[in-house]
Amino acid sequence: MKMTPAGVTFGSIAVLAAVVFVVVVLPYADTQKTRPSEIVRRRTPEEALGRRLYMENGCVYCHSQSIRAFDWGMGAQRVAKAGDYVLDRPILLGSARTGPDLSQEGGEHPDDWHRAHFVNPRFTRPLSIMPPFSFLAEKEASHLIRYVQSLGMKAADRRMARQKRWKAASVEAYEAGPAANVAWLHDQIPAGWRAVPNPYPTSEAGLARGRKIYQDFCLGCHSPIGDGMGPAQPFLYPPPLNFTILKGRGISGGILYYQIMNGITGTAMPYFKKDLESEKIWEVGDYVAVTFIGQSDADTAPKGIDAAYEP
Amino acid sequence: MPTPPFEGKGKRPADEIPEPGRYATARGFCLTSAFWMIVAASAGLLGATELIAPDLPGSLAWLSFGRIRPVHINLVLFGFVTPGLLGAAFYYVPRLLRTELFSERLGRLTVLAWNGALVAIVVSLCMGYTQGREYAEPVWPIDVLVVGAFGLIFFNLALTVKNREEPLLYVSIWYVLAAVILTAVTYALGNVIWRPDSGALSGIPDAILLWFYGHNVFGLLLTPLSAGVAYYVIPRACRAPLYSHTLSLLGFWSLLVIYTHIGTHHLLQVPVPTWLKVIAVTDSVAMVIPVMAFLINIWYTARGRLGEIHADIGAKFVFTGTVMYFFVSIQGSMMSLPQVQRVTHFNNWVVGHAHVGVLGFAGMIAIGGLYAVLPKISGRPLFSRFLADLQYWLILIGVTGFTVVLTVAGLIQGNAWLNGETVYRVLGEIHMYYIVRAGLGLMVFSAALIGMYNMARTLFPRKGGAP
Ligand code: HEC
Ligand code: HEC
Ligand code: HEM
Ligand code: HEM
Repeated sequence: MKMTPAGVTFGSIAVLAAVVFVVVVLPYADTQKTRPSEIVRRRTPEEALGRRLYMENGCVYCHSQSIRAFDWGMGAQRVAKAGDYVLDRPILLGSARTGPDLSQEGGEHPDDWHRAHFVNPRFTRPLSIMPPFSFLAEKEASHLIRYVQSLGMKAADRRMARQKRWKAASVEAYEAGPAANVAWLHDQIPAGWRAVPNPYPTSEAGLARGRKIYQDFCLGCHSPIGDGMGPAQPFLYPPPLNFTILKGRGISGGILYYQIMNGITGTAMPYFKKDLESEKIWEVGDYVAVTFIGQSDADTAPKGIDAAYEP
Repeated sequence: MPTPPFEGKGKRPADEIPEPGRYATARGFCLTSAFWMIVAASAGLLGATELIAPDLPGSLAWLSFGRIRPVHINLVLFGFVTPGLLGAAFYYVPRLLRTELFSERLGRLTVLAWNGALVAIVVSLCMGYTQGREYAEPVWPIDVLVVGAFGLIFFNLALTVKNREEPLLYVSIWYVLAAVILTAVTYALGNVIWRPDSGALSGIPDAILLWFYGHNVFGLLLTPLSAGVAYYVIPRACRAPLYSHTLSLLGFWSLLVIYTHIGTHHLLQVPVPTWLKVIAVTDSVAMVIPVMAFLINIWYTARGRLGEIHADIGAKFVFTGTVMYFFVSIQGSMMSLPQVQRVTHFNNWVVGHAHVGVLGFAGMIAIGGLYAVLPKISGRPLFSRFLADLQYWLILIGVTGFTVVLTVAGLIQGNAWLNGETVYRVLGEIHMYYIVRAGLGLMVFSAALIGMYNMARTLFPRKGGAP
């Protein structure tokens, strides 16, 4: 085969044209028929501006917006569908998960959590490697928050409604003073949980592990001395709980466990059931009880059969 | 055919001092590549450091990771590797055709426009002007400038081909012509240049088009330009004819047909049509055809002549690049299998692959091409072979190290996620690998500085220092 300049040029263009037809035009025709999925809605102008900021600041290089079927292992609730993206121009799927997937981020946290997190992610997540976005102006930050809170669209709106409802209730309780606040907090917990003491005895090893978890997960809000004055505090309302006020107010291992596992929707207190296994939740709870509250019910009655490893 | 690329038989071209102005375009692209490699590597190094010390940039928006990363990627692709490969091409195309470049003035203008585009890319991305699509970030005016520059390059080279004295077109020329014209087309398509405001389509079609283009940056730009340089440098260093014309033909056409089909392997875990995924996976495995056709051709040409390759610093870089090509392609074909991708997708494994490909393969060959043509376009021997060797080892250790640590980090991430651990939980586990990566990055960055110095001392012997 003799290769002439025209042969090379037009031959390769012809190949490209054929390939474009197969892998771009045909799929385009195919996917054009995609119908919006059940969660799709239009974005508000603020959300659209926030999306712009999301692109400008390269969030897409660290965050995917696409949940895969086997992400159920990570606790995902909803797998991405083609119809979720029909309004996205450009689509922001992302190709790396340096940070978590955000396609269903809306309503996971209340707005104040995001505000603290964007000023400096280490405030709410001590080990985070996400860049600080303190350079965003007040207005820009709120646009970005509106966008992040819209991720998941109608599903996010439902979660946001829940956040708002409990935000109002928790603020009211907080403003009623420490005793009323603690009573309100504990009233929300199913009675069975309240009555359960921490089933495992306090041990040096357990406290050391609890301390490590506290440092990696809780420090930015509740502060190293547990008084709720961590660096995130100025941004959060109600502010992080000062653990010392819990003393003598009916606190139990079960309450601590439940609050850490489930979080307190409406407040910045996140749920940790995906991040921490059961043993770790008991241990960080006991660390808080022993170190900050000064009162632990670990290994007291009512109790079942002791676990095999206990001394 | 096969055509041995010993242009101007008899007298060794290195002995001639080219008349002033000759090879100005080649020189321009060589300097462009060496200079922007420094900037690109420092952006990479900064990004890597920010992944260890995220508060480093403070409240300087333009240094934020999300802005530095696209700067890094655009500069390695369009600042370092592409100009390096073009620098060699602007020398070997006229030589192989036994003619002069159609217009050095036009060439100089292209170099200028190219550098203008690079400055515009850095400034605009740092300021946050972006289309927000990976590999298609630059905004519309820059897109137009880039497509225009590719157009000018094609025009200049095509007219050089037209004026040729040598009737036969050597395989390197096929690759350059195809790479330049096809990239002009796919760049315009991929950046949705007919939509200046957004530069994007909507929804899933946007993702399909984007990765069609994104993959063709490697497949229709870096790979063919690198193959062109390898086909020129290796037979010349070995003083041996090319092993097989048939393999050249097979490698060339199968590359164009197969590589262009596989962009959707970036989207295997996304709801795109299944038939498209099947095409992408099948053809990703079929990539072994163009890859091995090219590699067998080069390696058989060099068979028994590794001594010559070792002695020639340009060929040493290029040959190493071909070995990296072997690895990155085998790895790539594996990564296209859905079962493998369950572990490797979304994490540092892919970043490792990207560095073997773009730095180990295309970058190594670009630097090799520069060293092969530098003595010719300057009429002087290389300033320091020692520094070039040092640069070689720094890059080789750097990129191999990148691959090891990023692959390990990727495996940790991917397996931990499959095991149900959250992204946050795994951050602490990969911290150490990020530190080693930044350390290795310092080696690559030093290599860039050394390369620039060596090139500057070769091209500007009396003045010394930076150009
Ligand atoms: C260097 C990569 C990186 C960049 C860039 C980045 N993030 Fe993150 N992001 C992370 C990491 C890591 C985490 C997990 C730790 C944490 O919560 O801070 C995270 C967490 C988050 C979370 C919390 C998710 C959750 O519910 O736990 C949100 C929301 C978020 N990022 C939004 C953004 C936005 C918006 C941007 C752009 C303005 C951005 N990120 C840029 C890495 C990044
Ligand atoms: C982003 C900030 C933030 C982080 C991180 C955080 N908390 Fe909280 N925490 C809060 C807020 C806010 C409240 C509720 C304050 C209120 O409603 O008065 C709270 C409440 C609690 C309570 C409720 C106590 C009760 O008696 O009902 C417990 C227990 C608790 N946090 C433990 C933890 C532990 C343990 C961690 C780490 C694993 C942690 N928190 C991390 C902000 C945070
Ligand atoms: C046979 C050849 C190759 C195959 C089959 C292949 C396959 C792949 C696959 C499947 C991915 C996506 C991984 C994922 O997201 O999970 C990928 C990414 C990538 N490949 Fe390759 N590859 C090949 C060769 C190359 C070469 C030669 C280069 C460089 C010149 C290269 C550069 C890249 C880059 C930079 C990415 C990262 C893209 C991103 O940002 O996500 N690849 N490759
Ligand atoms: C100084 C040395 C370098 C360092 C420290 C470095 C670091 C980095 C970092 C931190 C990223 C972002 C990865 C992420 O998002 O997690 C990256 C991406 C990338 N780098 Fe480098 N880099 C260096 C040199 C190079 C060179 C010389 C090349 C090519 C010639 C290159 C090609 C790429 C590519 C193609 C990507 C995109 C990867 C992807 O999307 O998967 N890098 N690099």
